[in-house]
Amino acid sequence: MEAKGDEGFEIYFSRGRMNVLKSILEGQIPLSKELAEWVYQCSECGNCTEVCHMSQNPNIVLPTCNWIDHVKVWEALRKDLVEAGFAPLDRHSNLIEYMDNDKIKNPYGEERNKKLEWIEEFPEIKDRGEFMFFGGCTMPLRQVDTLRSMMKILKVAGKEIAMTKEEWCCGSIALRIGDEKSLIDIVKHNITEFEKKGTKTLFTACAGCYRTWKKDYPELLGEELPFEVKHITEILVDLLNNNQIPFKEKEQEEVKVTYHDPCHLGRHMDLYDIPREIISKIPGINLIEMKRTKNNAWCCGAGGGVKSQFPDLALKISEERIKEAIETGAQILTTSCPFCIGNLGDAYEEIDASIKDKIKVVDIIDLIASKL
Amino acid sequence: MSKLYQKLERIVSEKRISNNLYIRHAYSRNVSSNLQGVPDLVIRPKSTEEISEVLKIANEENIPVIPRGGGDCEFGGSKPIGDTGIVLDTKSMNSILNLDEENLIVTVEAGISWGKLNEYLCHYGLYTGCLGPGSGMTSSIGGGISHHSVGGGGCAKYGACTNQLVSLEVVLPTGEIIETGSQANRYSKIPFNRFGNGPDLAGLFCGDNGLYGIKAKVSLQVFPKPEFANYKTFLMPRKSLEISAQIMNEIRQKGIDIYDAMYFMDLVVSLGIQYGLFPMWEHLKRKRGIIFYTIEANSEVELDEKTKQLDNIFLNKKAEEFGSEISEGNIAKWHYEEQGHWLIAHNLWGLVPGFDPVDAECKVPINAYPKIMRDLDQWDLEHSEDMQKILEITGMRPVTGSGPIIMVKDNNVELTCGFSSFTSYYNGEKHTIIDEINIKLWKSLLERLVKHGAMFYMQGDILSRLMVDIGGYQKEFYELMKAIKNVIDPNHILSRGKYNF
Repeated sequence: MEAKGDEGFEIYFSRGRMNVLKSILEGQIPLSKELAEWVYQCSECGNCTEVCHMSQNPNIVLPTCNWIDHVKVWEALRKDLVEAGFAPLDRHSNLIEYMDNDKIKNPYGEERNKKLEWIEEFPEIKDRGEFMFFGGCTMPLRQVDTLRSMMKILKVAGKEIAMTKEEWCCGSIALRIGDEKSLIDIVKHNITEFEKKGTKTLFTACAGCYRTWKKDYPELLGEELPFEVKHITEILVDLLNNNQIPFKEKEQEEVKVTYHDPCHLGRHMDLYDIPREIISKIPGINLIEMKRTKNNAWCCGAGGGVKSQFPDLALKISEERIKEAIETGAQILTTSCPFCIGNLGDAYEEIDASIKDKIKVVDIIDLIASKL
Repeated sequence: MSKLYQKLERIVSEKRISNNLYIRHAYSRNVSSNLQGVPDLVIRPKSTEEISEVLKIANEENIPVIPRGGGDCEFGGSKPIGDTGIVLDTKSMNSILNLDEENLIVTVEAGISWGKLNEYLCHYGLYTGCLGPGSGMTSSIGGGISHHSVGGGGCAKYGACTNQLVSLEVVLPTGEIIETGSQANRYSKIPFNRFGNGPDLAGLFCGDNGLYGIKAKVSLQVFPKPEFANYKTFLMPRKSLEISAQIMNEIRQKGIDIYDAMYFMDLVVSLGIQYGLFPMWEHLKRKRGIIFYTIEANSEVELDEKTKQLDNIFLNKKAEEFGSEISEGNIAKWHYEEQGHWLIAHNLWGLVPGFDPVDAECKVPINAYPKIMRDLDQWDLEHSEDMQKILEITGMRPVTGSGPIIMVKDNNVELTCGFSSFTSYYNGEKHTIIDEINIKLWKSLLERLVKHGAMFYMQGDILSRLMVDIGGYQKEFYELMKAIKNVIDPNHILSRGKYNF
């Protein structure tokens, strides 16, 4: 823990917030709006759990990591703040309202049908099937090119997919903010819609949706889902291993690539190796790891509602990650989460022009598609 | 907004000072949650000059200042005594100012952590020798120097981290800035030696527990990390407590240059296995004490010779060697190769939710610790009734013992002994009685250790005052400490209340 810049007070770190929490539990200080302003400046990346007395070796399991899950603690505190009426904060309220609005059902405030526009380009997408894609909100509304890349890959691999036009936002944003009043409705609606379509495997290209579907839905319902849930990288790695993705035969000069672990995929879901396996199978690419990688990876800064409520802080965190990527000498910084892509992309626009030419931020799906 | 706040805000930017309730509470406790003191405000200076200005204003306003490094003291060393004062957080001062590769001296701002500094040094094949305290991942260089810290690795070879000190830049409680050792000569361009130019004034600030000055810059000797190392772990025979001390003594008597040796008591091993801490030792039928050694060498020949000599000592005492891999039980490999240095020292503290350290960090002669540890068992029995009250609330009795017993240069060991108890907030309720019992037993235990002649080095709030309260200090020693305090800090601004000053 090294204090940097103005955000160096203990309350910005897990340890300081734990001290505050102790004082709250002991009745010394109250919950308040002011407290909420601190609590929501955490991206819930989960790195505090990784460094909290963590031996990083399976043969030595130091005590606290046996029982503490800091993200759960912060989420519980957020729920308390919402219940006490001190949260959601203003911008988070907007997201929740959009998500709950029947005409919108996404946190971006876009009309519901807008999420479906990209599908019109792909008539081959069926409306029911065993292999169903959950589009989520960010990619269909902000990163359609990556969806086009995904379709390009699936097409060459001969993989058919189906979608339902009735999907709602997965509800991740409500979970992270702690405002769960309409969450169960969302969960039940989404599961029912996919069940009706005959789903055996649901996959998504969004790390946040993946965590929510795979981890939070069963926890909320107290039962397993009626179908399996996969992340796009799990699909892609199978296609690569089965030689179903034919890359261009002749490759140009080798490109150095570094991979950013999205928190919702890595620390939250323990999915570290598959994206790396994918990268290793793309011809002409040399993977170079950043200084902080896998379970120690530096967060992009967007999660936990930070991007929407504290955009400057999110950018600052992301800039640090981009600089770390540049230090590796990589020409491409890739990742597998649209939220990370969005924030890293925004930070990229802000960084010094002199270092901008050194690296590009590219989704792993686009990286594969560019080699077809 | 108070006049004091406005004055201080002129020194640092508004973003580096706060009197916010929540920020104050974030700084109100260190490692032990039993001890709390809520400051009036928190300030995060960026330079020596800013620290100096803060202290001058504190003197004008007669408000105490509590310096804080990493905030890792178990005895409330960097939180106020009472709900008052300014916590001065030095963690923003974390730059590496110079690495003198020729003379092997590094100069840093005092707020940098041992972990960060050693990460930097490793790129040059160097390290700090003693790697600071067991909490070196976060604890600061300034904090280590203020406590003669040990426990983070390399202590058998290098001793306390203050052994490596070359010079200090210190802000005195009244705001003057002094430099020590070679830097007392105003023509000296680089720090190169601590001893000379008059008395060892740096020594006044080493282990001062934040009493005499705030460390702003620190120059430390650094060492080339030897190319060769070996590490072995052994299961001890019966009476492991006594035999471990005999082994450590024999190592010293034979003059073997050892980097680290640590002994885990039977209790730590059996409890650790029971709670799943040590999967590598789960297969053990006899859950007895475990000891390891680490040696470093500059050649294979040297390494082999040292290994042979050490193995003779261990095996002659009927210690049984584990396999060489971590998975085979060789915790020493993890400790040295995977930077377990800064994790292992306090392995029982978080054993179950709400478990908190109520202990003492002290140094004792090697041959004294078996008797002390046996007496701690007796102490535990004597306080069974109080322990039982905690058990009735929490379902678990506090655990008395010591974390790893760490061999330190000068034929000493470091004991982190005491008991791990519960915090008073348990299962959704505040149980004030737990706090009361913890503090009562803590004082009783510390008194017992003082009477064994133990030397506390990290004293903080509770230990510094207790030593005075129970008359543990030699009278003249204490009077001299006090006289020095009165001269350099007439208003008792710095760390007010420690040692009852």
